[in-house]
Amino acid sequence: MTHRRRPLAYWLALSWLGLIIVAGLLAPWLPLPYPAATPDLLHISTPPSALHYLGTDPLGRDVLAGLVAGARQLVRLSLPAVGLATALGAAAGGAAGFWGNSRLRLPLAVLPWLLGLAWWQLALPTRPGLTLAFGVGALALTLGSLPRHRPGGRAGGRTFALPLDGLVLGATAMLGAVPRLILLAALAAGPPLSAPLLLGLLALVAWPETARLVRAQMLRVRVLPFLEAARASGLPGWRVWLRHAMPHACQPLYAFAPLTLAGLVGLENTLAFLGIGQSPDVVSWGSQLTTVRQDPAAWWVALGPGLALFCTLLALQQLGRSLATPITSYPKNT
Amino acid sequence: MKYLSLLSSLVLVVSACQPDASVSSTEAVRIRWARDPETLDPLTQPNQNATDASYLLHLGLLQVNYQTNEYAPALAQSLPGVQVLGDSLTQLDYHLRPTAAWDNGRPVLATDVAFTLKLMHCPGLPNESAREQFGFIRQLRADPADPRHFTLVCRGQANDYQITSGDFPVLPEDILDPAHTLRDFPLSVLQDWLPKRPPAPAVAALVRRYLAAGLAKHPGHLPGCGPYRLAAWEPNRRLLFQRKAHWWADALRPVPFVLQARPRQLDYLIIPDDAAAVLALRRQEVDVYPHVPARVFERLRASEAARSELAFYTSPSYDVLTVGFNTQHAALRDKYTRQALSRLFDPVGLLAATQLGEGRRTVGLLSPTSQFYNDSLPLLTYAPTQAQSLLRLAGWQRQANGQWRQPNNPQPLALALRYRADEATFATAALQFKAAAEQLSIQVTLLPMEAAMLGQALQAGDFDLYIRLVKGNPFGLNFESMLHSRAIGSGNITGFGRPDTDHLLEAIAAEGNILRRRVLLRRFQALLRDEMPILPLFFLNNHLIVNRGLRHVVISSLKPGYAATALFWAAADSTGSHSPATP
Repeated sequence: MTHRRRPLAYWLALSWLGLIIVAGLLAPWLPLPYPAATPDLLHISTPPSALHYLGTDPLGRDVLAGLVAGARQLVRLSLPAVGLATALGAAAGGAAGFWGNSRLRLPLAVLPWLLGLAWWQLALPTRPGLTLAFGVGALALTLGSLPRHRPGGRAGGRTFALPLDGLVLGATAMLGAVPRLILLAALAAGPPLSAPLLLGLLALVAWPETARLVRAQMLRVRVLPFLEAARASGLPGWRVWLRHAMPHACQPLYAFAPLTLAGLVGLENTLAFLGIGQSPDVVSWGSQLTTVRQDPAAWWVALGPGLALFCTLLALQQLGRSLATPITSYPKNT
Repeated sequence: MKYLSLLSSLVLVVSACQPDASVSSTEAVRIRWARDPETLDPLTQPNQNATDASYLLHLGLLQVNYQTNEYAPALAQSLPGVQVLGDSLTQLDYHLRPTAAWDNGRPVLATDVAFTLKLMHCPGLPNESAREQFGFIRQLRADPADPRHFTLVCRGQANDYQITSGDFPVLPEDILDPAHTLRDFPLSVLQDWLPKRPPAPAVAALVRRYLAAGLAKHPGHLPGCGPYRLAAWEPNRRLLFQRKAHWWADALRPVPFVLQARPRQLDYLIIPDDAAAVLALRRQEVDVYPHVPARVFERLRASEAARSELAFYTSPSYDVLTVGFNTQHAALRDKYTRQALSRLFDPVGLLAATQLGEGRRTVGLLSPTSQFYNDSLPLLTYAPTQAQSLLRLAGWQRQANGQWRQPNNPQPLALALRYRADEATFATAALQFKAAAEQLSIQVTLLPMEAAMLGQALQAGDFDLYIRLVKGNPFGLNFESMLHSRAIGSGNITGFGRPDTDHLLEAIAAEGNILRRRVLLRRFQALLRDEMPILPLFFLNNHLIVNRGLRHVVISSLKPGYAATALFWAAADSTGSHSPATP
């Protein structure tokens, strides 16, 4: 019997990532002799020994415990962030590609509420007179666009075309105009952020790439005959989009999500290295690496987290590459 | 020809790319500062760097001689004569140096000193700290026969008045108050001016003029009598001080140590990060690195390559690592709570971990070498069990989930700890405290900050605990600016103060009898231990590293720990062309 197999590098990458995820999930229950953030005042910056297997950093924190804490950060922060960014990016990009600028029509009554929402989100100035005029206008539009009974017997209301594609492309262009690290550093500067807020920020800077990819794929998918058939059968548009178009448009994400994760892991550790966004008692690989500056001779402090970060990024790259390659392209093994 | 021109261009480019070592090594002494001085207003000195900079531009009547670690005459011709009046006043007799002059050539006179003292008490100026520190000087009696002779009348009879009375930068009256409007106001009137009472029109006009001058950022608007002028200030990057070509003290023979100003330029480079500072030192971009962390100091000293380029100096200092509690916050209002939290710091472990065991543990703000040190108080140690007992004594009850709550307070005990981000000692202490507190289920939020922002947060009372260095000296035993209730909102960051403690602090500041003062200071230390608004952990050693090419390195226990103006380059000294003030 013959079958095709993934290369060894794929399985190595998968094993390493599995190890990291298991370590991260089980971190609170692992029998580590030292908490990650507690300094051992009698052993500051000591090399690996029977007491501290991987040594301590210049603040006296156990490097091994720090490695596990870093894995936990990956599981708690980077993984959910990549899930959120992928979901957001796929939804936005998929919708933009599917409906474009003119195919999604909404009742006119929705328009003022969308504008109001945008006004509120952008925290634009408000004046009593302006707010009153806006409210009156919104009410008039709402009443004016209510469905009316027409002579032909069809009920209908005024609608407008939502320029979804333009909005998504504009948002991705705006976020892409500033380097991600700078944008994140600017947003996260100041007091340490809570984990959900940092997660949200990471997702915010990561979703545009996914959106662009899914949009491009959707532009190709939406003209395929099976979608035409689905529309012709009378299925509602959102159902065609969700059930039939999206599964095909999201195919590249299986390979792209590991690369997004690699980017976010790198970003999160760079922020930790710079001491931005997180409390100093949250130990991650990046925050461990930054302590090397206090004692450049402490090679063990750089080695552990550096190697963990390097292997994780390499494994994610390998995983992405392997998933992008169809299994049929691998040689057959007998 | 073509190749020749190409070669010459290449040589020019290469030479342009190399640092100009000849200029930097013979002209300037480059000193590392960890933070920007923020302001160069001579009335307000929020940090040591601001003080150091002020004394390059202006001079005091007396200044510290780092060779002898004593005060020595600067603008004054000699230490003041002391005369005790009755049982509550002291009279100090000063003579100014005849040659002392401002940059515009006008002599420094008693009227300038009187004006400066009054300026320290003008409402509306940033003079809160100076007001506290020099409030004991009640009157300046000028000698009508000699414009350089005056007498200070001081409230109290403390022995250190003789030296502390002259330690403020003297400012020119003719520039700041050409109409001499302040002469109409006796010093005591300004001192006793009620805070709610609007200032007199003349005073208000003077204050407006002073503030409009923008001396905090543009000290060049005010002529000084010091040896340097500010040539460049790039905030958070560098301050360059240029030696005046003709300075009045150059004519003195011999030049007293406190008036020596040898470097042609003093280039203070702001490098907050210690690792970057070490790199700059090794690359010879910095010549003097004061306050080196103990571990960095030991690591460099162990390196043979570093020893061949750098000289290493250590001295005890009066810098004490302290923890402060915000006594205005409800959770920390009770002294037992503060006592409990103080038991969660581990001074022994922290001293070993951060200072390699160098330094001295202490029971209070006075150095253990001081004759006033209260050695009958036990040194505090890490004692979490005792901390729990004290918390219960303060009314805290442990809940089923481990948290501590007071019956009348719905909030559990949770604390925000602020400290400077760029200092590993503070970070280690903060992590140790947090780990210890969390073992008792007390939630601690660590908030490391940049130095200037930390200062603002502490002034605004936006903290529960802080960790910082308090820089002291053996002379001034006046703690009013730090702990008196009058100083809440300025120097008294913890917000601590009661009538009885205020009275004790005032009595210490004014006491002239050594034995009585010793009793008062011992009581003060016991009171500080009991009330615990501040927890002094240990005194640090002062570590200094300088380029081996520099000569006349004078290291001192007194802040800033070295004499910058005494330094000169060996190469410049051999040519004799460098120092305008050769001793």
